[in-house]
Amino acid sequence: MLEILPLILVFPLAGMLLNAVFSRWMDETWIAIFACGASGTAFVIAILQAIALSGNHFHVETVLIADWITIGNLHLPWQMRVDTLSLTMMMLVTGVGTLIHIYAVGYMRGDPRFARFFIYLNLFITMMLVLVAADNYLMLFVGWEGVGLCSYLLIGFWYDKGDNGVGNARAGRKAFVVNRVGDMGFLIAMFLMFGAVGSLNFDDVLYFFEHNGVEVAGLATVVTLLLLVGAVGKSAQIPLFVWLPDAMAGPTPVSALIHAATMVTAGIYIIARSAPIFALAPVSQTTVALVGASTAFMAGTIAVTQWDIKRVLAYSTISQLGFMVAAVGLGGYVAGMFHLITHAFFKALLFLAAGSVIHGVEHGGHHTHDHCDAQDMRNMGGLRHRMRITFWVYLVGAVSLAGVFPFSGFWSKDEILADAWNVGVVQGHWHGVAVYVLLVLAAILTAFYMTRQIVMVFFGEPRSSAAEQAIENPPVMTTPLIVLAVLSVVGGALNLPGWHTLGHWLEHTHHFFHGLDFNLGVALGSTVFALLSIWIGTLVYYRRPLENATAPDQLEGVLGPVFRFLYCKWHVDELYSKTIMALYEWKARFLAFQVDWYFWHDFVHEQLIASAFRGVTVVLSGPVDKGVINPFFDGMAQLVRTFATRVLRPLQTGYVRNYALGVMLGVIIVLGMIFVNEGM
Amino acid sequence: MTAELIIFVLLAVIAVAAALGMLLSSNAIYSALFLVVNFGVVATFYLLLGAPFIAMVQVTVYAGAIMVLFLFVIMLLGAERLRHPNQVLSWQQPLAVVLVMALLGFAGYVVSMQGLASPPVDVANTVSYGSPAAIGELLFREYLFPFEATSLLLLSAMVGVVVLTAVDARRGVSRGVSRDRRS
Amino acid sequence: MTISNLNLVGTLPLLFLSAWACGLLLVDLWIPGDRKHMTGWMALSGFAITFFWVSSNLGQREEAFGGMLAIDGFSNLLHLVFLGSGILATLLALNYLKQHDIERGEFYPLMLFSVVGMMIMSMAKDLIVVFLALEMLSIPLYVLVGFARTRADSEESALKYFLLGAFSSAFQVYGIALIYGATQATGFAAIGDAVAISGASPLLLAGIGLMLVGLAFKVSAVPLHMWTPDVYQGAPSVVTGFMSVGAKAAGFAAIVRIFFSAFHSLAADWAPVIVLFAVLSTVIGNVAAISQTSIKRMLAFSSIAHAGYVFVAIVPGGYGALSDFAASAVIFYLAAYGLTNIGAWSVVIAVDHADGMGSDISNYAGLARRSPGLAAAMTLFMLSLTGLPPTMGFVAKFYVFRAALAAGYTWLVVVGVVTVLISAYYYLRVIVVMWMNSGDGQVVTPRALNFTVGVTAAATLVLGLLPGPLMAIVESSVRGLF
Repeated sequence: MLEILPLILVFPLAGMLLNAVFSRWMDETWIAIFACGASGTAFVIAILQAIALSGNHFHVETVLIADWITIGNLHLPWQMRVDTLSLTMMMLVTGVGTLIHIYAVGYMRGDPRFARFFIYLNLFITMMLVLVAADNYLMLFVGWEGVGLCSYLLIGFWYDKGDNGVGNARAGRKAFVVNRVGDMGFLIAMFLMFGAVGSLNFDDVLYFFEHNGVEVAGLATVVTLLLLVGAVGKSAQIPLFVWLPDAMAGPTPVSALIHAATMVTAGIYIIARSAPIFALAPVSQTTVALVGASTAFMAGTIAVTQWDIKRVLAYSTISQLGFMVAAVGLGGYVAGMFHLITHAFFKALLFLAAGSVIHGVEHGGHHTHDHCDAQDMRNMGGLRHRMRITFWVYLVGAVSLAGVFPFSGFWSKDEILADAWNVGVVQGHWHGVAVYVLLVLAAILTAFYMTRQIVMVFFGEPRSSAAEQAIENPPVMTTPLIVLAVLSVVGGALNLPGWHTLGHWLEHTHHFFHGLDFNLGVALGSTVFALLSIWIGTLVYYRRPLENATAPDQLEGVLGPVFRFLYCKWHVDELYSKTIMALYEWKARFLAFQVDWYFWHDFVHEQLIASAFRGVTVVLSGPVDKGVINPFFDGMAQLVRTFATRVLRPLQTGYVRNYALGVMLGVIIVLGMIFVNEGM
Repeated sequence: MTAELIIFVLLAVIAVAAALGMLLSSNAIYSALFLVVNFGVVATFYLLLGAPFIAMVQVTVYAGAIMVLFLFVIMLLGAERLRHPNQVLSWQQPLAVVLVMALLGFAGYVVSMQGLASPPVDVANTVSYGSPAAIGELLFREYLFPFEATSLLLLSAMVGVVVLTAVDARRGVSRGVSRDRRS
Repeated sequence: MTISNLNLVGTLPLLFLSAWACGLLLVDLWIPGDRKHMTGWMALSGFAITFFWVSSNLGQREEAFGGMLAIDGFSNLLHLVFLGSGILATLLALNYLKQHDIERGEFYPLMLFSVVGMMIMSMAKDLIVVFLALEMLSIPLYVLVGFARTRADSEESALKYFLLGAFSSAFQVYGIALIYGATQATGFAAIGDAVAISGASPLLLAGIGLMLVGLAFKVSAVPLHMWTPDVYQGAPSVVTGFMSVGAKAAGFAAIVRIFFSAFHSLAADWAPVIVLFAVLSTVIGNVAAISQTSIKRMLAFSSIAHAGYVFVAIVPGGYGALSDFAASAVIFYLAAYGLTNIGAWSVVIAVDHADGMGSDISNYAGLARRSPGLAAAMTLFMLSLTGLPPTMGFVAKFYVFRAALAAGYTWLVVVGVVTVLISAYYYLRVIVVMWMNSGDGQVVTPRALNFTVGVTAAATLVLGLLPGPLMAIVESSVRGLF
């Protein structure tokens, strides 16, 4: 049963190829059927694998597809791996992916590039599965780059839109370039691993580090820090988070699938996968935890101030990814993975619901010819009457994200906080305390900005004619929302305290993976904080609703410059452009103009080489080439032609007697040949 | 030098002379008659070799039937006098002479190496050799296949003659003029 | 000789085709003049039946008529080449004859007779049979060449072919007589025995040389090639396509069988002559083809050159163990050349017009625009004739050169490759003219012709990509024969 694992790649790939080749002869319905069918089949296979794996006593199984590279010691197969960790990711990717596929059928309806969208989407599913099902780091890297490519393609999907008609394309490029920085870290980490271990197989590498223990702690620290660079790029952590908000330029299903639920969690996945190496490097673990916690806090502060409905969610995503990174940094792998799963549910739900809102408002704007920004929350308001389903599912997603009991977000976030409490207070590590404080602050911010968003979008009076005319979307879009809402509610059951289903499930992959006991104090504390924060949010935004679409935020008056600083995202983009970019551009300009143009081109090439070369070529081309070589070859060609026309053609006189003479000549030649040869 | 050899040499001279006469004569009738002489001499050779049946066939079929046919055709077409062939290429004739000399040279070499008067095997000793019965025996036993193949060959040749000469009833045959076919 | 060693059963396909030809002559009498294509279809069915009959048991090892004929893999494979070219040429003739207003029923029986001659030629194990077979394939061809006899050039080329063919046949008969004189035998086995005992005498060598002249004339090897361009140009194109494959293959079949079996021990004497033929044919054929403006003459010189490449494959035959290798290379090359060449002539027929216009290479200008399928097929044929992958021509040349290399004739291979380069000039010119120049001539593409072009193009391509199975069949059929 486990041998059919490669099929999980085959189906999305087949769906992609089918649509790529035949889409021009199919209408949208068939394209959608192929795309969703491909993804759905992959999900079914993932489920079957899970059943088979439990039947196999959770024994790790590898499936060889083909040999890839075999050079000397380097032996890299296309080999897939089934264990509980990879299966968790597979089921998540294909399950949430399928729901989003279905949603996208409604969302993308009528788009001129409908087929292309689903081709990219299926390619993404394939690549993501390559990433999570890989049995070695290089194959993982192939998937890693593949999803990066799909991300680039899909962020810039409407490449002719955005600022000045290039904004979306620029956003895609930014995501791609920033991710390159992370990839570089990953690549170097791989080289180091191969240099030390001589293999890139997970089993070999992890065994090497576990077996050698503290002897290779230094190497482990370097490798893990480099892996962290990779994870920071992919999972949008400080300092490389700047690409994710811009990535919202892509269609909303893309934001939900790639930039919330799946691809961005690859960083957490790779840290979890490399857990035994991280275990050897406390410095790295501390770094990981602090990076994650700081990101969680910082992104939360920015999210409070944003107007764009998707941008709020984007910063929220960065913040929640920070939670997961902090969790795995503290060794709470189960908590991290748990939050990864629940976050996939409720954040995909929120994005899709936000897409539904945007779609509805756009429709209204279309109706009333009010072409305001359909993503700006200032243009919304009062939508709870017009879009009932969307409102309710959005509410479910929001309270889940805010961590309200008993929604799924409560359980997973609480486990992360418990981990931090455990490391900081129980074990007495300073960074544990810091992480706990930062995460609690971030959680408070989360509840606050979600309250702000709910109130702004769904309550009060409509602040634009588009919002007045907004309508609910068709079932093809709302059904996946409802499914995800249900999952967001009950997702916490995956790892309820006392049962630790997920913890025991993941334990089969690594013995590092085990859950913590429920910490009632922490849970109570975080619940109180969340409710308090929601109450404050209601006070600020519900009591005094925004008056019109141009009014300043209620907080802006209170906080003033602090608010504007947060609104400008802590000026990180500007900081990068002033420091790194400016330095880079200066260096590039220096290399291009001073070094390359003036020195190499003008001086070395033009004056030294070119003039000397010119002198030689004059000699070569004149006397040597024209005088000797050319005539020789021309002469040869001419000789052949002349021989053919002057000698051979006249022989063909057309007279039989001449031809007979030719036969006679042949006779003489043959006989002469034989007799001379015989030694006449 | 045996008597046999003397006769052979005499006949050979006549045969070669007749052949040359056939080639060089500008009158087609003369050529044909020279050919008759040649055929006759060859028939005599067969007799000398102890093959009377072949000799008779040679006389009746070649010297008789075929030559008569030749003469009829020549006279019917009125082509007794051959036009002197126009020489297009001056090197043609000398080259032909040189080549013929070379061929003769090779023939002489072969003969000199092989020896003239050494018949490879004494076939003439067998009494029945060359008799009609023996030839019939050979034709219908050992050489059955060539014999039958020949019949097929002659049939196809006949069909070919019909195709090439029969007047097409629908449109008749217009005879084209040969062109100089330089490539 | 008794009835038991007649082996009529083994020769049944041959006897069947002969009887079919004779019967068709009679049946044709009752077929009205405007329906002569019926005769064609009957001839076609005769060819097809024999084709499948022969292909049903390729691997026979039998003799017939008391050792006069051999029925083995070599002859059977070549039978397929002859019958295949007969089938394709008949298909082409169905429309060609009508279009050129020369439709007569005798065309098809003559074609059958000629194929029978070729088949006998490849089976012959006796010099007398070789000679008779040569005549039996040639005489119908003389007539077929002159079949368009209202056209002066057709008659002229028929007469030329006939006169020169008779001239060279005379040499061959003389050669056979000398060989008989030297060995007292006409059967290959007996000759082989005699040669093994007494060695080479000048008489025998002269006989071998003269007989080789007769056969080399048929395959149009330089310097016995001069009739080829004139005859190929003057003959109806279907006949040219047919004879350029069939007659050539038959000539080579006889050469291979005679020299690989009867005169195998005299390889030191005849191999240099074969090498000479190979060098002269490839060089002169390819160089002369460059200056041609008529596609028919170009293909004529090309066929001369290809005869040279087959000679290259025959050279290693004198080297004991390499005989099988050489024979299979010859067969493969002939099959490749046959398929490609008949395909090319089909295209020539499509472009050719009844008034004789359209046989110039310049008439192919813009063919790619007018009928891209035809142009694509012609491109494939030209590539195959050049010997470029992924066509069968490439594989064939590869096998030929490999055989020559195995025998140590590196310099001969170098000559061969250089001449291939020369040949690329005129083959590729056709492609250039078709695809890059503009023109507006008309093409006539009846369904049978499209079928022929399609089949040959597909075979050229498929067997170029996957030559393995065919080569395996050829090698296993020929193994141990020589």
